[in-house]
Amino acid sequence: MEMASSSGLSSALVGGADTIVARSSPAGRGGLALIRVSGRETRALAAAVIPELDMDRGWRASLVELRSSGGERIDRAVAIPYRNPRSYTGEDMLEVMVHGSPWIIRATIEAFVAAGARRAGPGEFTRRAVANGKLDLVQAEAVNELISAETAWQARVARAQIDGRLSREFAELQATLVDLLAEIEGALDFAQHDIPFDVESAEKRRRRALNQIGALLATASRGRRIRDGVRVVIVGPPNSGKSTLFNLLVGQERAIVSPHPGTTRDVVEAELEVAGVRLILKDTAGLGATSDPVEREGVRRAMGAAADADAVLLLWPADGARDAVPAAAENQPTLRVRSKWDLAGAEEVPPGWTVVSCRTGEGVGGLRDALSRMVEAEVADLGGEIAIAERHRRGLEVAAAELEGADFALPEVGAEAVRGALEAVRELTGEVGTEDLLDRIFSEFCIGK
Amino acid sequence: MTVGGDFDLVVVGAGHAGCEAAGAAARMGARVAVVTLHKRTIAQMPCNPAMGGIGKGHLLAEVDALGGFQGWAADRAGIQFKTLNVSRGPAVWGPRAQCDKARYSEIMRRVLSGLPRLTIVEGEVIGLLSDDGAVVGVRLADGRRFRARSTILTTGTFLGGVLHSGDERRPGGRFGERPSIGLGAELVGLGLVLRRFKTGTPPRLKRSSLDFDRLEVQHGDREPRPFSWRSSSVRNRISCWLTRTPERVQTIIEENIHRSPLFSGAIEGVGPRYCPSIEDKVVRFPHHREHTVFLEPEGLATESVYVNGLSTSLPHDVQEAVVHAVPGLEAAEFLRHGYAVEYDMVAPGQVGMDLGCRDVPGLALAGQVLGTSGYEEAAALGFLAGANAVLRGRGEDLFHPAREDSYLGVLVDDLVNRDHVEPYRMFTSRAEHRLLLGVDSARERLMGQGVRLGLVRPAAFHVEQNRWNARSRAKAMLEGMNLNPDRATREAVVQACGIEFTSPATWAQLLRRQDVDLDRAGRNIPELSSLNDEDRRIVVGSLRYEGYLDRHRREIERVRRLRRVKLPGDLDPGAIPGLSREVVEQLERHRPVTLADAERLPGMTPAATAILAGRLARGGADS
Ligand SMILES: Cc1cc2nc3c(=O)[nH]c(=O)nc-3n(C[C@H](O)[C@H](O)[C@H](O)COP(=O)(O)OP(=O)(O)OC[C@H]3O[C@@H](n4cnc5c(N)ncnc54)[C@H](O)[C@@H]3O)c2cc1C
Repeated sequence: MEMASSSGLSSALVGGADTIVARSSPAGRGGLALIRVSGRETRALAAAVIPELDMDRGWRASLVELRSSGGERIDRAVAIPYRNPRSYTGEDMLEVMVHGSPWIIRATIEAFVAAGARRAGPGEFTRRAVANGKLDLVQAEAVNELISAETAWQARVARAQIDGRLSREFAELQATLVDLLAEIEGALDFAQHDIPFDVESAEKRRRRALNQIGALLATASRGRRIRDGVRVVIVGPPNSGKSTLFNLLVGQERAIVSPHPGTTRDVVEAELEVAGVRLILKDTAGLGATSDPVEREGVRRAMGAAADADAVLLLWPADGARDAVPAAAENQPTLRVRSKWDLAGAEEVPPGWTVVSCRTGEGVGGLRDALSRMVEAEVADLGGEIAIAERHRRGLEVAAAELEGADFALPEVGAEAVRGALEAVRELTGEVGTEDLLDRIFSEFCIGK
Repeated sequence: MTVGGDFDLVVVGAGHAGCEAAGAAARMGARVAVVTLHKRTIAQMPCNPAMGGIGKGHLLAEVDALGGFQGWAADRAGIQFKTLNVSRGPAVWGPRAQCDKARYSEIMRRVLSGLPRLTIVEGEVIGLLSDDGAVVGVRLADGRRFRARSTILTTGTFLGGVLHSGDERRPGGRFGERPSIGLGAELVGLGLVLRRFKTGTPPRLKRSSLDFDRLEVQHGDREPRPFSWRSSSVRNRISCWLTRTPERVQTIIEENIHRSPLFSGAIEGVGPRYCPSIEDKVVRFPHHREHTVFLEPEGLATESVYVNGLSTSLPHDVQEAVVHAVPGLEAAEFLRHGYAVEYDMVAPGQVGMDLGCRDVPGLALAGQVLGTSGYEEAAALGFLAGANAVLRGRGEDLFHPAREDSYLGVLVDDLVNRDHVEPYRMFTSRAEHRLLLGVDSARERLMGQGVRLGLVRPAAFHVEQNRWNARSRAKAMLEGMNLNPDRATREAVVQACGIEFTSPATWAQLLRRQDVDLDRAGRNIPELSSLNDEDRRIVVGSLRYEGYLDRHRREIERVRRLRRVKLPGDLDPGAIPGLSREVVEQLERHRPVTLADAERLPGMTPAATAILAGRLARGGADS
């Protein structure tokens, strides 16, 4: 007999027998609200709450009356039945669109509960989708990211992940590891048949796996930039116009601006979306400049302090000492901006610099473009839409460490390492998973998803 | 009443499974009848003339440690001994021996005939005696009946057997033997599900017709080692030979492939992937230009040579063309052509971990009839079924080998709890704790159990105990001994194992390095001189495993805790709230004995395991 196993993932205890109900649209008052029901008893529940609904007319909307357990009318609503396995969860499902009144929503959910449903926990619908093989774990994680996406890139990466792009990368890595393991095991178990262990070929596969892991790990910082934002720090000598520029870019009077040097005491932050990416702009104090005889040294230090930023916006006033202009930051892309350009007089635009005058507005558009290009380069340059998240990074690093320690001089010991790496990757995709891991992942979901 | 007699146990079949089952049970004190088609084919080796190997050698070592016969008989019938994988660590050493087939069979026949409580009966079992749904004995074709509390079926490839050779097909259990027809229907009548498998065997050639000048000689080990703790030494008596198929073989087979029963559709049974026929190999690996062929004599007194690597069921003329194309075999005379056998097996999910049928009390199964392939797998299952028949009769706890403790456990667990689509053969890669389950540790792991079963003499156990204690002392010494990188010590280390070192380290740390020459180290480290050659190599080799052993020990510890939790026989999984339907189905289907067995079922999650555990802690399922 063939077994329909859900690739090792829990189908026990994802609720199993229960049929669940929850509101899937956000809390608070709205025009409409969406209520979802999923599970084996959906049909019976529908019969109780929406007697007129024909569950066999699947995937089609109909206008129906909702009734409470006492037979009281709750609302006129639109209902769409889905039959397993062609539904989000892979189970029988029902989606009901009611008017957005808090009372109607509550009454509808209570009607389903009275008919035997249980209120869903966070992420429980998605968890069932995973258990029923509709999504793998990596895809499911992205569902949450898509819901909370605030920028175009966040949505794009999440969408690609739901579509299975990252899952495919993991599958390819797994395939390489399985081939490597098969090669070792074959040589061990079939030694009698004259199959030698080809260390060179095993080494080649190990390198290939490590390269695959490396390529994925390389997207980690990009993943962080997309998910958490690209951090750009404005540095420059006191009174070079950092805060004015900051406000201009952010579009509001966020930083305290004054003509006196050293006004910006603490780092001020603001978020904006540039080129579809979340950008966290930071304005720094003119660090230590008053006590430092040489301004350039002060800026150098400020740039050092900005070491954890993804990019630096270096400001140098047109009226500043020209021979003191600092070099670009060493490790980060640097956008060099000549500020107060209205004071420059006859000076030519220096090559490699953007010029701006916040007072006249000259060059601000060009600066936005330059910023946009820099951010795009920061995020998109690595190509593709794949960007691994923190959990993936940790798993991949475990796999890489296992592989690097693999001892092929004794193939049976090498096999242990490869099995370890494979296990780490399988855990990523949820093929072997501990329930704690699932709990952790799904607890970050909202209820109703 | 019964014409044959009353016994504690009837074993049907005296192949490798039947011999171990009957032998173990009789030596444990049971009155046993072995019914088999022919006395002359007791413990016959119908396929290759070798015992052991990688994985199979592990099983053989374990059955030996438990007190079984196979290793001991192979030591006596062995004519060339060779341990495979010796350049690797001890976990994957695979002891193997070419045997004189006739002598092997003769030894087994003698030892069984000598057992006081064992009766060998020649005859064909055609039916089972049943009483209220339980099997209580067997019915023979000649009308005799034998009653027994337990019956073990070990009928190999005989159930509904059909032999294929090219376009020819005729009923048969093995070459020259009739199949067993009625018995299969009887099993179906008891509600058992049968499936169809197949296996094949290569041609046998006449030794004097081979051109030895064109063959490569293969010697046995310089210092051959016996399988069994009962044997003190063994001797190599013959050489084997090796040759390779030329490219032309590919063409010959391709041109005739439509005549192969495997590809024409005449054979429906599923054969083992890992023991493919030459036609399979040519079709599946067309890029392999050549295939190795081993020529293995089937005995000292016989001319028959087994052609390992050319298993085939092609028509005779094609077999001849193929063989004659191979260097050294141009003028080879055929003593027998290769053939395939297709047979019924009992789907093993229907037996429990003790090999008793779950739904037919009194009936157990072992060997090829349960879907395995190979002498060692058959013997291991036979041993287990025989021992458990006696334990059950006495009302004692049954012997349930666990997969973290032995290959025997892996074998039974895989068979019973997994679905199989081809004959099951043991590989070391099937054991997740392979590093701990080497042949080197078989006695340490299992001999105590052999003593408890009454099949191993305590004195022999103590001899072995001293050996493994000496090994752990030697290991502790290597762990504790610091070496300083002064000139003299460095030179000594280079001498001993071929590596340079520059900062102080213990012997053990140095020996864990990947560049150590294990073979040399095993021989040359002065601190190990009190051990014998094999033990030295075991100590040095297992040091390299150390980093991974902790991981395995932790996991095993965890599994053992679960294994101590027994599931009640009357557990009703459907009545336990919180389990999904899939998990309930799995539990109902496989009826795991312990929580550890339950945990391995497909779809079973840690949470479901936790629910089960909680349920058991609260005193079993509601009833
Ligand atoms: C053609 C062929 C090819 C093989 N190829 C391979 C291979 O490539 N690799 C491999 O590992 N193994 C191979 N084997 C399998 C190996 O021989 C068996 O796995 C092993 O011998 C099985 O042992 P057993 O005890 O289960 O059955 P067997 O050794 O087959 O013993 C069965 C016994 O049951 C007896 N018997 C059967 N029916 C009755 C009955 N109704 N009444 C009384 N007695 C009965 C028979 O007389 C016989 O003694 C092959 C076997 C055959 C026949």
